[in-house]
Amino acid sequence: MSPAILYAVCVLGALGLYLLVRRPRAAGTGTRLAAVAGILLGLGAFGWLVIGAAESIAPGQVGARPGVFYIMFSLVAVASAVRMITHTKPVYAALYFVLVVLASAGLFLLLEAEFLAFALIIVYAGAILITYLFVLMLAQQAPDPDNPTGQAEYDLFPREPAAGAVVGFILLALLSRMIFQGAGQLEGPDAYTAQVQAWNELTRMPERLKELIAEGGDEEITLGWGEEQPILTVAADGSATVHYRLASGEPKTLALAEEAMPENVQSVGLGLILKFPVSLELAGVILLMAMFGAVILARRQIELTEDEKRQAAGLRRLGHHDEPAPPRGGGG
Amino acid sequence: MTPTALAMVEPLSQLTLGHFLLTSAALFVIGLVGFLTRRNMILMFLCTELMFQGAAIALIAFGRFHLDVSGQVFVIFVLTVAAAEAALALGLIVLLYRRKETLSAEAWSELKD
Repeated sequence: MSPAILYAVCVLGALGLYLLVRRPRAAGTGTRLAAVAGILLGLGAFGWLVIGAAESIAPGQVGARPGVFYIMFSLVAVASAVRMITHTKPVYAALYFVLVVLASAGLFLLLEAEFLAFALIIVYAGAILITYLFVLMLAQQAPDPDNPTGQAEYDLFPREPAAGAVVGFILLALLSRMIFQGAGQLEGPDAYTAQVQAWNELTRMPERLKELIAEGGDEEITLGWGEEQPILTVAADGSATVHYRLASGEPKTLALAEEAMPENVQSVGLGLILKFPVSLELAGVILLMAMFGAVILARRQIELTEDEKRQAAGLRRLGHHDEPAPPRGGGG
Repeated sequence: MTPTALAMVEPLSQLTLGHFLLTSAALFVIGLVGFLTRRNMILMFLCTELMFQGAAIALIAFGRFHLDVSGQVFVIFVLTVAAAEAALALGLIVLLYRRKETLSAEAWSELKD
């Protein structure tokens, strides 16, 4: 796809988004028409980008059409993201974000990241979004005679939709140009290397290997045959063999079954612990500090007078033993 | 060479990678436009979460393409930071709401002077 067509498609997408986001103060008959036109333009632009990807990223690549599930999940994600930024009721916008999270969990499943797909649903849809909903409902304004729907003015009318759409267009044009140019030049591993990489995860889990060997009846073993022989070899058909020695020194091998391949959770956990141990600790510190910060921020701040501080510390008040305490000001 | 054994770990094609990256770019851009156009402070923060989603999909797609779990590990950290950010930002917003009884970001525009 030539850059000119790509930019034109991005302009169409941005125009569609603008028509959807814009909400004129005097709602006329054109509003609904503009919304329909916006939906059509946005859908058309996204569809064109996905289809155009086939021609420009990998010409002649067979059998790599986007799958049904990819189309379904990404359409749901993009459509509900648009609905989220256009909906006038904040609670509904938050619920549409739940839909985005569910759809991208589906995309994660397609990418074989099962652990993260479910972690995303639990952490985002279950925890973060509930916090957002709580705050949204806490900050809801009660309906009054002037404003019977209870909807605030700042939810009804967007700020600078045209400028926002222009910024969005520039970013989308840059990103999709990079994707169209760059993705075709990336070199991924071929089928055999992929298999070797997947099996080699196992050599980092010696205890798991020993368990597998113990299931075959051999206990008290040493992995590997020596310096020159790797613990695990992968044949050309993708099957793996473990080499180990019995306590008597007799070398043996065990062909690994397909079920022995490390699962997603095992690989992610191992990667987390082996490659990023310090970051893991730092993440814990960040969460702890965020908790402290939130507690301190959300607490009502009460100014204490000098006397009250002394009393709280178990000291005697200054002067005036019998008089009632002076009225304190500045509370709240 | 039997194809069944090799099919256990199938590498991702460049085209599929491109598709997932396009979805992630679209989500990121929509989140950015939402951040710029919404005037409700809570929804502005929700739009940053949408941008996090886009970034997470890109990270996982690249990790799957190179068959490296680091992408997924990064997404775990993104989740952590998103949770911390949500806690802090919502605490701040509750504090601001108590002062002015409005969630409009423009109510605080004198801060820029």
